[in-house]
Amino acid sequence: MKSAPFEHHEPETVAEAVSLLEALDEPTILAGGQSLVPMLRFRLANPDAVIDLNRIDELDYLEEADGMLRIGALARHVDIEESALIADRYGSFADAAPLVADPQIRNRGTIAGSVAQADPKGDWASVLLAHDGEVVARGPDGERVIPADEFFLLPYDTTLDENEMITELRVPTPLDREGSAYHKLKRKTGDYAMAGSAVRIVLDEEGTIETAGIGLTAVDITNVRATDAEESLVGERPSKEAFKQAGELAAEQSHPESDEHGDASYKERMVNVLTQRALADAAERAGLVVKRVTA
Amino acid sequence: MSTKDITLTVNGETHSLTVEPRMLLIHAIREELDLTGSHIGCDTGNCGACTVVKDGEAIKSCLTFAVQADGSEIETVEGMEDHPDADGGLHPIQEGFEQEHGLQCGYCTPGMIMAGKAILDENPNPTEEEIREGISGNLCRCTGYQNIVKSIQYASDKLDENGEVAAADGGRAETDGGFTCGVENCCGGTGFDHTGGDNE
Ligand SMILES: Cc1cc2nc3c(=O)[nH]c(=O)nc-3n(C[C@H](O)[C@H](O)[C@H](O)COP(=O)(O)OP(=O)(O)OC[C@H]3O[C@@H](n4cnc5c(N)ncnc54)[C@H](O)[C@@H]3O)c2cc1C
Ligand code: FES
Ligand code: FES
Repeated sequence: MKSAPFEHHEPETVAEAVSLLEALDEPTILAGGQSLVPMLRFRLANPDAVIDLNRIDELDYLEEADGMLRIGALARHVDIEESALIADRYGSFADAAPLVADPQIRNRGTIAGSVAQADPKGDWASVLLAHDGEVVARGPDGERVIPADEFFLLPYDTTLDENEMITELRVPTPLDREGSAYHKLKRKTGDYAMAGSAVRIVLDEEGTIETAGIGLTAVDITNVRATDAEESLVGERPSKEAFKQAGELAAEQSHPESDEHGDASYKERMVNVLTQRALADAAERAGLVVKRVTA
Repeated sequence: MSTKDITLTVNGETHSLTVEPRMLLIHAIREELDLTGSHIGCDTGNCGACTVVKDGEAIKSCLTFAVQADGSEIETVEGMEDHPDADGGLHPIQEGFEQEHGLQCGYCTPGMIMAGKAILDENPNPTEEEIREGISGNLCRCTGYQNIVKSIQYASDKLDENGEVAAADGGRAETDGGFTCGVENCCGGTGFDHTGGDNE
């Protein structure tokens, strides 16, 4: 099926894009198009105007500045996958990138588009949640910084205003003794997650867990934080037992739906296992070795 | 109905088109330019049959509007025989699919070939695992992938051999600075002017 007809606008600056957002009647933003193009074609979205961000060079960056990793709205999945900075310092991002979709889609799709799409099966929102990330938005009233915790409302629905766009996603740069990881279960390469767990831990000088962040994929109406599991970890030393308990609590806090790929209890069990594995990887990256869970 | 004028360079040939913004790149390629080698298998980004190389990167042309490709360079399967590596015949990747029985019905093949080209352009000597990862966005209902992987390996070996021949004949097989022997001003590398005119 063809999309309904629309006007195609190609601003070259964020300021131009924001004035278009204000001036046009219910426009839709187009980034990588890897989710939006099929939605337009199935007429799940029928905008009169599309604001295409792809010529806004100022949004194309991936850098560390002022204590934050900053991901511009045009940074693509492949940019994360191929970044030496990410490979060296951001375990969860490095794990997630090659697990998103397939090479062609990673060449086009953006991290910000994926977060704006707010599909609970999307991978990046979990990583952003685990890292206490932020969404930077621009609208007619200027810039607004939205904590990831307050961003996701419902499937495909966020707290972004209609006349706002995401310009940047950001997470704090890693501290000493910090480690993060992402584990995802999917039927085959290129599929969305059946379940996924993003984990970030920070240890204090004695090796006790000081901060824990866990974001879960595909197990609720949005990507969610496993807060009970996070709390159980703080003040503990990383150990198989502590991770087992956290895995169980993460599973308890998730509400997956049964579908043709697996029933809810199976997916809960997988949340448990994936969370334990991600914790073990994160601990190792923070400088410790805790034996991997095999079951 | 709004339309836009765009320019697409497809397989080296520049085309000016007037299209509706809602026209997908795959439709522009197949229906406007009559290059029907690139296929539509699913129309939802799942199968990879519509894979083309845009500005050096493999993309699914059913997930991009033609207006978004304005000003870009597109390679499709039709351009493979004219590629310098084809040396007047089939491109080594196409030859690989022929020699290794990399196709049965052939529906996925144009997309596989372009995905294969993107793999080899970035990494001329991929491991089997890298090839499998590189074609993971392309589905084949017929072959079971084994021979597709072998076909791309065949091309990788063949391109290597060609490279060695080029090296052995002092780089004459590839002129115009494509080959550098490492010695400055020797065989067409940095700064050497073949016309011999005002070269300092
Ligand atoms: C076959 C297939 C498999 C996939 N598998 C996965 C997977 O395993 N994991 C995964 O996470 N994703 C997957 N995806 C989705 C993919 O990651 C998309 O790239 C991503 O969801 C959207 O990013 P985009 O840049 O393409 O956004 P677009 O498709 O351009 O936009 C998506 C939505 O976000 C809005 N938007 C985009 N950018 C902005 C912005 N800067 N500000 C405000 N709103 C904006 C758009 O208006 C639209 O509503 C898959 C997609 C396909 C087709
Ligand atoms: S037709 Fe484009 S991916 Fe199937
Ligand atoms: S050869 Fe038939 S789909 Fe691949």
